Amino acid sequence: MTSPGDATPVKPPPSFSPGIARVASKSPSRYPGEHETTQSLDAELTGSHTVSPPTPLSATVAELPIRSSSSHSRSERSSTGQLARSSIGSPFDGRADGSEDIRSSIIRSFSPTIAVHASEDTDDLVRNKGFKGGFWELIRPFGETVSGKVVIRDSIGSSRAWEDYGVRFINFKGIGKAPAGQDSGPLAQIEEVLSKQLNSSGDTLGGTVRTKDVLGFPATTPLCKSFLQQLLSSTPAAPHETFGHPVANVIAISSRNPSPLETLRQLYADGATGDQHLPTWINQEYLRYYVLIHDEERDDITESTKLYDQMKRHFGLHCHLLRLRSSQCVVTDDDSMQVPQCEWLSPSEHLSGAGEAEALVDLGTDGTPYLFGSDATGIRAFIRELVVQSVIPFMENKVAIWNDQVASKRRGISGKFMSMSRRWAGFGSSSRSSIGGSAGGSGNYDPTQHFYSPDSPEAILRKMADFSFMLRDWKLASSTYDMIRSDFGNDKAWKYHAGAHEMCAVSMLLNPLATSAKIKLDSVDQMFETACYSYLTRCSDAPHALRCLSLAVELLKSRGGSATESAAKWAMRVMDFGLVGSVGQILYTERVAACYASKTPGGAAKWGGRRRKAGMWSMLAADQWLKAGQPTLASACLEEAERLYADVLQADGVFPMPEMQSFVENLRHAVKVEYLEARGFDARDEPPAEDSTAPEETSEKLDKRHHRRSLVGLPVQLDTGALNTTQEPRDPDGPSNDDFERA
Amino acid sequence: MAAASKATSFNSSTAHLGLNNHFRLKMSYYFTILSPTDTPLFNIAFGTSKGGGDGIARFRFPETAQYMNQFIIHSSLDILEEAQWTNGGMYLKHIDTYPPAAAYITAFLTPSGARFLLLHQPPHLPSSTSTGSGLGSSSLLGSAGSTTRASSSSIAANPTSPQTEEAVRQFMNEVYESYVKTAMNPFYRQGMEIKSPVFRSRVTAAGKKWL
Repeated sequence: MTSPGDATPVKPPPSFSPGIARVASKSPSRYPGEHETTQSLDAELTGSHTVSPPTPLSATVAELPIRSSSSHSRSERSSTGQLARSSIGSPFDGRADGSEDIRSSIIRSFSPTIAVHASEDTDDLVRNKGFKGGFWELIRPFGETVSGKVVIRDSIGSSRAWEDYGVRFINFKGIGKAPAGQDSGPLAQIEEVLSKQLNSSGDTLGGTVRTKDVLGFPATTPLCKSFLQQLLSSTPAAPHETFGHPVANVIAISSRNPSPLETLRQLYADGATGDQHLPTWINQEYLRYYVLIHDEERDDITESTKLYDQMKRHFGLHCHLLRLRSSQCVVTDDDSMQVPQCEWLSPSEHLSGAGEAEALVDLGTDGTPYLFGSDATGIRAFIRELVVQSVIPFMENKVAIWNDQVASKRRGISGKFMSMSRRWAGFGSSSRSSIGGSAGGSGNYDPTQHFYSPDSPEAILRKMADFSFMLRDWKLASSTYDMIRSDFGNDKAWKYHAGAHEMCAVSMLLNPLATSAKIKLDSVDQMFETACYSYLTRCSDAPHALRCLSLAVELLKSRGGSATESAAKWAMRVMDFGLVGSVGQILYTERVAACYASKTPGGAAKWGGRRRKAGMWSMLAADQWLKAGQPTLASACLEEAERLYADVLQADGVFPMPEMQSFVENLRHAVKVEYLEARGFDARDEPPAEDSTAPEETSEKLDKRHHRRSLVGLPVQLDTGALNTTQEPRDPDGPSNDDFERA
Repeated sequence: MAAASKATSFNSSTAHLGLNNHFRLKMSYYFTILSPTDTPLFNIAFGTSKGGGDGIARFRFPETAQYMNQFIIHSSLDILEEAQWTNGGMYLKHIDTYPPAAAYITAFLTPSGARFLLLHQPPHLPSSTSTGSGLGSSSLLGSAGSTTRASSSSIAANPTSPQTEEAVRQFMNEVYESYVKTAMNPFYRQGMEIKSPVFRSRVTAAGKKWL
């Protein structure tokens, strides 16, 4: 019942990630509870995580003698070999997986926001079912993936179906208010969550759980994906971008309510005025959707239907009758199912325990709530209807209207002239009043409060661009962002300026029609540069700057070709700016390696690859993981580095440069020692097994591996390593330094 | 890759740009000759002798410089392999940058397949008193970097300026001449490490003269 196999049908994987990526697309923090040893990781690597484990397990057992015979870094190596073999079944899917997976999660992170505003009686009903957060918490996980295909029509009129469409439900009461009790910024929180994940999961989370494409490049580590997801969901609603603003407001009452229509009116009024009204920078023209929740166990369905008909008469088509059972569901009930986990948790939610890590520890007691299957079906149908029949048409309609009324004015020749003359007029007068502030601007920007009023053309255009972005019409989005980005600069609305530049570049990169030849990478780079400068220097908004740069890294990397180099450059820039903490630094070191590794040599010529660079960064990442006390991750990186270097080194796998060689040897040794130390008993158990299988192994590995030298020298090293672990713990950077003075 | 990296922390750097231009930068250099199989034939680390420099290399991260310099040079071979086909000359100029250490790589090809690689690194600026760096915030400003470059006349201040490229060209040419003569030594076979003290002293002299 509690196995993830039950949970998967609930959360279909994104359309982009078939096969192996399915494993990686699961929330990484599910691993620790389920897997105690690294051995079982192989079971996951073989992709049958969601199915019955026997087959991969036996494969692992068969592999065991070889694995245990070697040091850890070599056992990693063999696991890679195994993976390469096992993933051959789906070579081309595999190739697309890694970057497509990241791309898909970036796309899904910019999904429409729907506020949920439920009456007290509704929340009471849902709380009885075991959801403390009320109705919002109940439907939130289901919104992340709308079941079935969602067809969206773009501005030209062509439709496209998306399988991985989702919406984000937020609590109406929380919009525009900073999360309470936050003493540290989101970046510090992300860092904290990361180190928590690292520590809690120890080495089971280990870097071995990687998606790899056919060439074996690491696409993403779970940690890295988790980092990105947290980063993308950490930004609260802000004036300068409308992704966090509600597109629709779901107003819910239950059948228990004595005066339903009155309550609905009250809830509606709350949105407009009332003490819970939204910040003034949010456009009030959002869709209102009315939901009546019928309590299946206490109330009469005929009554509810009558009320529902009445609602439909009053409010039109945007209504839904949701039938739920009011009693709490427990595991043992028939038809019970686990509520899917939220994929998009902000770092503060991770920290406050909404995350699943703790729940998994005492799994089965009360950690994850359960739900009746009928309820889940009802909620899913409700969300589908809400999205497909109301939200999407509403957004399409809005985009079309704004495109007609606001954007076309700007596009035409007169519009260009208007904005130009305005600029010149502003320029003329700015000589006198430039110190005053908003000279040369349109005057719609309020420089004291730092936002445009929501009905000004600038704000509407930004909203239109965001809408078309969320509708995945990147072409329209990028042209709209492009149109308005300089306006914000003229108005000195720096956050808007940064946001428009950022999203313009992102939508250009996401637009599948613009091939890498057509799109000018220079201009994209320039836009990221500007966005980043505006965010950081002008607004000192580090979270947004980091988001911008991370998007730049991931999207440029997924472009491939020469774009990967600028991706690597941006990743280095992130580290350079100090936007990330110590764990983040290592993650970005890994990203740089991954960026370089994904640049493959063009054509028949051997040159054009960046294997040496990738290898170097992997080595550095290994070094840093080791220093951070994560030998498992270090050995994964080391393994990666050796694989990357394999092509460029001579057949003996020895680095031509003496000091590099000694550094690498020391690193290998230190990783091995630390790793064995970390799992003390293993260190003593392993040596005996090794002698029996060692010859067999060397003969097996000779073909492709270039580490013959380390293989031969290994038994001795391993013994000393094992001894060392029991006696003196070694300083991770000690050995490397010692030897360098000698060398 | 051409964008220069930055030296100081992001926020403090812009304020000090343009100050202390008289402050001489002591560049550190690491020069390597690589055989066609990437084996190092010759290594030398030295510092600038111009403007009162004492000719001793002071790398930014002295504790890791030993192997990092080699890593950086080794990784730049990726770029070198590409550049040697796209660039017509023997002197390939500045080919690669390693931003975290602000290390710049310049390369020179020889007919025998040996490559000369010069890593140059402006010094780490310890505090706000010495921020005359032309690198200050150019990584962020991008195009604006060129304006800050002009402020410093010292070749060492900016590893990608034409003056520096020219100086390195002279250095490379001079080393090349010595290298050819060393390679013509009857006791020298190709691919052997160059141990000749004469060659070493000539390289040192060339470094003193040009860099």
